[in-house]
Amino acid sequence: MFPIAASELIQIFRNRLVLITSLIIPVAVCVFFVRQHETFAAIGSLGYIAAIVMFTVAAFGLYATAVTTLASRRQNLFLKRLRSTATGDASILAGLLLPVTVLALVQVAAILTALAVVASEPANVVLLVVAALATLTMMIGLALATAGLTNSPEHAQVTTLPVTLGVVAVASWVGVSGTEDLTLLKRLLPGGSATELIMNAWNGGVAVTDSLLLLAPTLGWVVIATALATRLFRWEPRR
Amino acid sequence: MSTTPVIEVERLNVKYGDFHAVKDLSFEVRRGELYALLGTNGAGKTSALETIEGHRTPSSGTVRAFGHSPRERREVRPRMGVMLQESGFSPDLTVRESVRLIGKLTQRVDDVDRVLDLVALTDRSGRKVAQLSGGEKRRLDFATAVYGTPELIFLDEPTTGLDIQSRDDLWATVDRLRENGATIVLTTHYLEEAQQRADRIGLMHQGTLHREGTVSELTRTLPAVIRFSLPAPAPALPLQAAVDGDRKVVIETFELQKDLHVLLRWAQDQAVELPDLEAGPTRLDDVFRTLSS
Repeated sequence: MFPIAASELIQIFRNRLVLITSLIIPVAVCVFFVRQHETFAAIGSLGYIAAIVMFTVAAFGLYATAVTTLASRRQNLFLKRLRSTATGDASILAGLLLPVTVLALVQVAAILTALAVVASEPANVVLLVVAALATLTMMIGLALATAGLTNSPEHAQVTTLPVTLGVVAVASWVGVSGTEDLTLLKRLLPGGSATELIMNAWNGGVAVTDSLLLLAPTLGWVVIATALATRLFRWEPRR
Repeated sequence: MSTTPVIEVERLNVKYGDFHAVKDLSFEVRRGELYALLGTNGAGKTSALETIEGHRTPSSGTVRAFGHSPRERREVRPRMGVMLQESGFSPDLTVRESVRLIGKLTQRVDDVDRVLDLVALTDRSGRKVAQLSGGEKRRLDFATAVYGTPELIFLDEPTTGLDIQSRDDLWATVDRLRENGATIVLTTHYLEEAQQRADRIGLMHQGTLHREGTVSELTRTLPAVIRFSLPAPAPALPLQAAVDGDRKVVIETFELQKDLHVLLRWAQDQAVELPDLEAGPTRLDDVFRTLSS
């Protein structure tokens, strides 16, 4: 797994397009939100900013990059090449996705630390970490499922749009309007309960046990995405 | 060469939906031999080969490599080198990084510099794969297949796109590996390569193995051929022959030496010239053409 991960990291830093979409654009958007935190806190809350930052990185930095990477490696038969070695399928996927996942985690940690420094600290750091890990896991699962429907890196620009725009929109909707009305719908949408969890972790005021219940829909999406990935994921281009 | 089978294929079937790519294929490859799996386009040899390599699941039948299912990667792959039909390298990695990565993942041990030298890519080692020519990519593919000197090597059209020198170098390396006991499974469209090097050949057509044997076993079933042009007018030929409208003559014979002697004697006696005279035993090409027709 680690030799594959190391080679992926090299490729990310050699490919300017990937570097821009997976690192620079998400960071630039997040810096904007952190700099304008007073404005956005007035619209929603600091927890809303934390959620938007998290989903921007998770959607553009992790999800879209992961789909593009998997489609690209499949298209140029690199996945097939890796499968002709002694490495198992799970290790191959873990190796391919580890660098973008670690980069996303580092980005989220750095940006949320910056938000804590310029604004105020989160109420429950442990809960925030759990929320971040659940969110990133959900996005990895969705990436594997979407990669099964994506024929090429160019095609990924289309196939990733529904999820990237969808989760950011859901995060904004939940972050700005809360979950007092349409509670079930907002919590069941992908990213809805994760956004509420992040907001609870940052803003406080909600019992931890109540917040932890919000993990269920997020992990439910992980299960759905994994089931879809198992059915849809392909190792070789269609014949 | 030992008679112990390294690969055992029994009643293998591979289907893609309604398309039956491989039908009841059975053969074995013995330790130390070079087995060539040849066939017409769409004969099913790549599907068969990829199933034996462990890339595909058989629809039915069994495939064993070193006594294991080829899908048991940890047991089989460290002993098996694979040269794919198409490269499958990441364009952003360098040649050295690609060999090191794939080599490490095969769990075999070797010196990257030695392997690069073996395929004459030392001076390209720092170049990205995207900058390599087609022939250089084939050599890189070959390098990863022979990394760590595996016991079994699959070569899927290994010389396609290679210049003469690179082909000679590749075959010289294969010969050295065979001297050390390696087993080779080859597919190629260059029949002369199979004719020169294969211990045994399997001929596939429309998903089935139509013939199998050594080159002489395969060619002895077909007659040798004598060809020449017949000037007009000419006396009656001494042998049964087919003459086309351009007066090109083809004589098929299982007794080449005797019939050639009869023909030449007739030509001398009748003072007939035989322009474009050719005579030779049946080649693999002829067996192949018979198969595909």
